[in-house]
Amino acid sequence: MSRQRTLSLVGAAPSYLVWLAFFLAPMAYLFVVSFWRVRQYRLISDASFDNYILAAGEYRHAIIFTIALAGLVGIITTVFAFALAYLIRFHAGRYGDLLLFAAMITLFGGYLVKIYAWKVLLGSDGVINQALLSTGLIAQPISWLLYSPIAVVITLVHFLLPYALLPINAALRGVGDAAVEAARDLGARPIRILIDVILPQCERGVLTAFALSFFVSAGDYVTPQLVGGPETFMVGNFIQSQFVNRMNSPVGAALAFVTLGITIVVVFLASFAYRRVLKACAP
Amino acid sequence: MSLRASCWTAFGILSVAFLIAPLVLVVAFSFGENPHATLPFGTPSLQWYVKLFNSRDFWDALTNSAILTACVGLLSALLGMGAAFGLSSLSQRLSDMGVQLISLPVVLPPLVLALALATAFSSARIPLGLGTVIPSHLVFTQPFVILVIYARLTAFDRSLFDSARDLGASSFQIFRTVTLPLIAPSLIGATLLAMAISLDDFVITFFTIGGGMTLPTLIWGMLRTSLDPSINALGTLVLILTLGLSVVALKLTSYKG
Repeated sequence: MSRQRTLSLVGAAPSYLVWLAFFLAPMAYLFVVSFWRVRQYRLISDASFDNYILAAGEYRHAIIFTIALAGLVGIITTVFAFALAYLIRFHAGRYGDLLLFAAMITLFGGYLVKIYAWKVLLGSDGVINQALLSTGLIAQPISWLLYSPIAVVITLVHFLLPYALLPINAALRGVGDAAVEAARDLGARPIRILIDVILPQCERGVLTAFALSFFVSAGDYVTPQLVGGPETFMVGNFIQSQFVNRMNSPVGAALAFVTLGITIVVVFLASFAYRRVLKACAP
Repeated sequence: MSLRASCWTAFGILSVAFLIAPLVLVVAFSFGENPHATLPFGTPSLQWYVKLFNSRDFWDALTNSAILTACVGLLSALLGMGAAFGLSSLSQRLSDMGVQLISLPVVLPPLVLALALATAFSSARIPLGLGTVIPSHLVFTQPFVILVIYARLTAFDRSLFDSARDLGASSFQIFRTVTLPLIAPSLIGATLLAMAISLDDFVITFFTIGGGMTLPTLIWGMLRTSLDPSINALGTLVLILTLGLSVVALKLTSYKG
């Protein structure tokens, strides 16, 4: 038995070695590099907080803008996903599986294709403007649909919705019919059932959905670069350009860790707020 | 009550339209003659596919993507299965921790992991290429196999093993005749998911491949440089490949969220 157990643990080793060599070690190295500096395109070891001071100074506005935009995307995506999961769980009947399937099939593919599709949809001569013009609802194409923060929000919500749906759907399936029916029989209105019975049981699912969509939006640079226009510069773009164009990985690394740190704090605050708001709404 | 019901129906239909319509549009454009990605689609035509298939870049990218996806799939399956077996022999607390640790790369924004890998490779003077992309992908594809197989292993009836052992089966015989047939559908499904994720990845590939190209980095190039209408055809092919893998995978793992 013990020999078998040793064998099983040896079987797990390659997977954890890959994790160690290609995840933990590079991440730790990147963290160390964030305290270094660059001279003539070469990394020089150092122990200074200059990069962090730069990140908190020159890049403060980009970081605040990114956190705000990612927070907005996180909230919209989570509420949208919750409504969809609620529909699947309580109202859609046997069409629920079909809805879930429609969301799931696009989960694992088409990242760039989705961004490209929105670029085509939202442009001045794009499909949405064409449709609105032909119905006579607008006389001029709406120019701010593409190359604006709105385009980034729409594209990210579309991309993240299936990811947010999964944990909320799992949480809602865990909510027993008995409690919901008991509340209804006792005369509770749907909104009270939602606040008092359903939402407290979905805390983990809702927060996972928010954290996932918030993290991904805060770290994305492809979407703002392709549909965000010249004024939507998110931290991801600066991080990427520090690495690629300026060959300054220490500054890029510091920016990445500052953003990562703030996002983790925001997620903690969100989980705190979730409980507080529910408690405040309780009768 | 009926008003509320129709509101929910409308919401459901609009949500599905929101999720699916952009992708349907790309597919529709790929088969139309209109080169500008505007309505109308123009007469049906395969010219963008012909143009795509005549480009060298496409075949290079396809070859690289095929090699990459196959290697990542195979290695994810082997490593993931090994890890899942190892974890299932540990105590609940340790195995939970092990699963959480190995899943960390999935939660991290891809850009951060990509830059960590690129910086580490460059400092270690490891030349970039498919050889660096494969382990970089493994880090975020293997958790999916581990999660699915681990869940499967902890869910089924332990008495099956005990009876097999009581009847004199060796550990290897038990694995081959009892365990493997039971986990095979989940294993294949999880592997296909890992392949779909690898095939679709752009950010980590872009930073770890150096000069080469895969299908997503080819799309990126087309998006950046020109409005080449064959991008619709290429996008459609990538969609068909990743969605096809996902659909089969979801069926096999009977995964429902």
